[in-house]
Amino acid sequence: MAKRMVCRVADVPENGLKECEADGGLKLVVANAGGEFFAFQAICPHQEVPLCEGMFDGSTLTCHMHLWQWDVRTGAPLGIAEAPLERYPLVREGDALYLGSEPTALDVGELFSGLAPATLEKLASLARREEHAAGAAIYQRGDPADDFLILESGRVEFQIGRDPAGFMLKKGEIFGWAALLENHPQRIASARALEKSVVLRFNGKQALAVLESDPASGYVVMRRLSGLIARFFVVAGAK
Amino acid sequence: MRVQVNARNRAFHFEADNGEKILYAGLRAQAGLPYECATGTCGTCKARLVDGDIDDGWPHAPGRKHLKPERGEFLMCQCAARGDVSIEVASFVYPADPGACRVGARAGTLGTPRALTHDVVAVDVELDAPCEFEAGQFMAVNAPGVPGMRGYSMVNFDQPARRLEFVVKKKPGGGFSEWLFSGKPAGARIQMVGPLGKATFHPGLAKNILCIAGGSGIAGMMSILARAKAADYFSKNKVHVFFGVRTMRDVFFLDELAAYPKADITVALSEEDPPANARLRFERGLVHEVAKRAMAGKYRDVRAYLAGPPPAVDAAIRVLLLDARLTADNIRYDKFS
Repeated sequence: MAKRMVCRVADVPENGLKECEADGGLKLVVANAGGEFFAFQAICPHQEVPLCEGMFDGSTLTCHMHLWQWDVRTGAPLGIAEAPLERYPLVREGDALYLGSEPTALDVGELFSGLAPATLEKLASLARREEHAAGAAIYQRGDPADDFLILESGRVEFQIGRDPAGFMLKKGEIFGWAALLENHPQRIASARALEKSVVLRFNGKQALAVLESDPASGYVVMRRLSGLIARFFVVAGAK
Repeated sequence: MRVQVNARNRAFHFEADNGEKILYAGLRAQAGLPYECATGTCGTCKARLVDGDIDDGWPHAPGRKHLKPERGEFLMCQCAARGDVSIEVASFVYPADPGACRVGARAGTLGTPRALTHDVVAVDVELDAPCEFEAGQFMAVNAPGVPGMRGYSMVNFDQPARRLEFVVKKKPGGGFSEWLFSGKPAGARIQMVGPLGKATFHPGLAKNILCIAGGSGIAGMMSILARAKAADYFSKNKVHVFFGVRTMRDVFFLDELAAYPKADITVALSEEDPPANARLRFERGLVHEVAKRAMAGKYRDVRAYLAGPPPAVDAAIRVLLLDARLTADNIRYDKFS
C-alpha cells in the first residue's frame, strides 16, 4: 500500500495541536510533544468535539468541552475521561509525517494498551481472528468460559444475567473476561454481533501464563480488569 | 409514555408526561442523564432515537449544530416522546446520587425586578412549594408567552427555599430577558424545572475555594458564599472570589460581597482603571488574568468554580488546567453554550 502522508513537520507548532487529513481521507489530530509527534482520532470520543480545539501542554491533551484528558504518549484516559483515544503510529521521513501501520485492537484495547512491547507481541501471537455475521451469537450464558475476546471491528452487544439492556462494545473493548478469573468456568453473560464483526479470541490460561512471565504488565492488566468489572456492576456514587 | 434509555453501561426506564421533555422526565426519575445547559444550547444531552416518535419543541435550537439528524440524533432537553420510545445515549449513565436534591417541575410567582445596573436586574420568584437545592445550581425558567426555557442560577441559599433569587442580564433577542425588561412582569406565573447543574458546593468539601465569575455569573457564587457562611466555612478554608465586569457602571452586589469580610474578594474591571477608596479590592484586567496574577502559588488544595460568558469561562479553564495544574475534577462549571 502506498505511503499515506499526514502532514509536514512544520505544520504542527511546538507543543501544539493540528488537525490533519491523511492521504486517503483519515482525519487525525497530530500533537507535537517537544519534537516527538503523536496522532489520534480527530474527534473526542465523548461528544464529537474536534480535539484540535483542545488544550495541550506537551504531555496531556485536554478536550476543552468537558475536560476529558489523555496521556499524549499512549492515548490512555486521565482524570475524568471515560474512554481512551485511538492512537495512530506516525513515521517521520525528512520533513514529513506518514501513517505507520494501523493500530490493532490489542494496541488500542483498554486492557493491554501500553504494556511492554515483548509481552504485547506474545499476547498477539495467541490471538485467533474470527468473523461473525450480523446477529450471530458469539457465546451464550452457560457456555464454557475458556476464552476472552477483544472486538477488532464491528459492533457487539454484551448482556449480563437477565438484564434486558446490553452493553454496546467498541473497538478494543474486551468481553468474556471470566476466562481471566479463577473459578468461573461458565459464561454468566451472552455476546452477540450486531453487525458483521471481527473479534480476536485468546485462551485465558495461555494469556495468564504470558502475564505471569511479566508480572509488572500482569499487575497493570489485573488492575485494569478489576476496574472494568467494577464498571459493569457498580452503579451508584459515580463521583 | 414509557421511555427506555440505553446508556453505555445499562438501561433506564421511566415515565414521561404528555409533552414533558425527555431530559426532564429522566432527571425527575433519578436517571443521571448527560446535560449541561438543559435549555437547548450546549448539545450535551444528545441522544439517538432507536424506536418510537418524538416531537421537537425547538427545531432551531443552537445545540443542534452538534447533532447528526440523519442518524436520528436529537436533544433530550427539547424533545418530548409522542408514545413509548427507546433511545440511546453514548455515555455511561448512573442513577442520581440518592442524597442529591430531587429534580422536578416547580412553579412560582414573580416579584418586582430591582435594577442592579443599567442592564442587570435581580428578581425573586415566590415558590408555590418549598424546594431544596445545592449552592451553585440553576433552574430552567419559563415565562408566560415566551417560548422555551433559560437557565438562571440561584443567588440565595436557603434549606429549603420558599423564594428563589435570580440575576438577569438584558440581552437583545433573549426571549426571557426582553420579556422581563419590557412591561410589568411582577405577579406573572413562572414555570421552572430544577434544580439543575453539577457545579455545586457543599461544606463537606473542606477545600479552599476559588470562584471566577464574569458578569451575571456572580449569581451562583453568591449562593456559594451564603452556603459557606452558614457553615462557618471561612474559619477553616480560604475562599477567593474574582468578579469581572467591564466598568464601574457594570458592577453590582458590592454591598452584598462586602458582607463577607473573611472571603478574599477582588473585582476586576477590564475597561477602566479601578476607583480610589473602594471598600473592596479592585484590579484592572480581564478576570482570568487578574485571578492568575493574584493566585500564583496559592493553588494547593483548591476547588474552582467558574461562571460567566463562555469565552471568559474557557479562558479561566485554560489558566487553571495549564498554569495552575488543577485536576479536571476540581474545575466545576456548567457551560451554557
